[in-house]
Amino acid sequence: MAKSNSRQDPYHVDTSKRLADIQAEMRNRGIDVYLGSRIRTMSFIVDAFVPWRSYIVIPAEGLPTIFTFVIDSARILSETWMDEDHVRGYFGAGGADQIEVIQYFIEEELDIKKGRIGYETGMATYTAEGWLTHYEYERFSDALPGFEFVNSHDIVDQASLIKDEGTINRFREAGRIVDEGHKAAREAIENGGWKGMTETEIGGIAALAMRRAGSVSEWNFAGLNEISSGWRTGLGACTPPTTKEFAAGEALMFDLHGMFKLALGDHSHNYLIAPATERKRWHADNFVACVQFVADHYRAGATPGGLITDLEEFAEDRGCSDYIIPGVEHGIGLFGDEWRVGASMDVPIPYWTDPDHVYQENEMVILAMQYAAQEDEVGFRYENPIVINKEDCELTSTYPLAIEEIE
Amino acid sequence: MGNLQYLGTEWAEEAKKRLDAELTPEKVKHLTSSMTNIYQNCPGGKDMYFYVEYTDGKLSRLETGDGEPPAGEFKIIADYDTFAKITRGELGAVRALTGRKITLRGNMAKALRLAPLVDRLNKVLATIPTDY
Repeated sequence: MAKSNSRQDPYHVDTSKRLADIQAEMRNRGIDVYLGSRIRTMSFIVDAFVPWRSYIVIPAEGLPTIFTFVIDSARILSETWMDEDHVRGYFGAGGADQIEVIQYFIEEELDIKKGRIGYETGMATYTAEGWLTHYEYERFSDALPGFEFVNSHDIVDQASLIKDEGTINRFREAGRIVDEGHKAAREAIENGGWKGMTETEIGGIAALAMRRAGSVSEWNFAGLNEISSGWRTGLGACTPPTTKEFAAGEALMFDLHGMFKLALGDHSHNYLIAPATERKRWHADNFVACVQFVADHYRAGATPGGLITDLEEFAEDRGCSDYIIPGVEHGIGLFGDEWRVGASMDVPIPYWTDPDHVYQENEMVILAMQYAAQEDEVGFRYENPIVINKEDCELTSTYPLAIEEIE
Repeated sequence: MGNLQYLGTEWAEEAKKRLDAELTPEKVKHLTSSMTNIYQNCPGGKDMYFYVEYTDGKLSRLETGDGEPPAGEFKIIADYDTFAKITRGELGAVRALTGRKITLRGNMAKALRLAPLVDRLNKVLATIPTDY
């Protein structure tokens, strides 16, 4: 993956700058060693897919070292920019388990016997975040008695907030790939193709198309490609596909996930299967208008609180505000970074989006909207990673925003 | 040949001869690495060490002794009795590792890849008539 990361590559990312930014802030805060454990931290620094429980040790000066489950260390070494001395393994043996191997590395190899260790703890809606567990914290604290442990994850969050050109290009490619999945799904359901088809089947058809287009994973832990149909579209924003068959008159929601060089494609598109009732068409038109309204209002200087307020007023005017699930976005970054918007710890509700967060150029977020009218057995979802520009935003998936009626 | 004292000077000389003769560069895959075994609680109460170094598959250094050991790429720490059991074939190295009889220091990913080579080395050492 990263070994082809030359500066001429449109997907080049400057891992040296990332590391330098983190280490500068470590020094600023008096952190001697950063002990990262979150997936997003691995993705950002290692620039390789790191699915097993891993830890990255970053000294205030010098190169970082990742410790991963030993069965995966050779594969990671083959994909990262880091050399063999800095891609280590752990396993269940004397001196080799997660705690001992890192304790020894810090105290004996880095020769740091006391000081401050920055680590990552907090909470999220995202299960696979990778915070240091209570058990790990206690074990590390016991093994490294000379150190004060300081929660410091916002150092990485801040360093990864503004995306560089290579990262944005990776998201653009992930968007193109996801669009290929949507084209395949569209072709599969048109002209009566939907008859007898299940949610799981269309999820697989889209997955194959995205893999053929270059995706390496459907990455989402909430059911990979999320698909819903009929009454299930009105249930909310998490719909792992089931074996339910599509039926005439129903809504369809395809939320496809692809991954390209750790950048996450995530785009939802909706359909109505003919014959659609006037009520369902009304809901569909409302939804499209609301998404377009929000997309038109993203720009540097906008805030989540401002956007949701403006949307509520817009939806109220259309008479559909009861069906908009509050929220117009969620955070997005490289693999493992999928929830919180912004990086500040000084927010009204810890680990939730700061409504006053001010978007900056080249920040990315997922424009996400969920519309649910359970009483009418219909709902819609929109997700699309966007790049914040000075005056507007760029949608990385360019699949046309519309809710077509499929025969 | 009579039995040689484990980790003694003569034992070390015999170990060099046998390793040179039996572990060709091909058999050790042209390895360049080094390992320091620290023997704790030896008879007499001292700690001892066994240091072995390969350069491009050739045995370039082997020594035993007490005091400050040379720093190898890998360090293996265990009781004298544990090492003796491994050398006599009474205890598997992996069993010893996973049972926390041995403490391993170094790059674990590399250490695991080298484990079969260490096994070959131990098998050669096990052929030396030894008093433990």
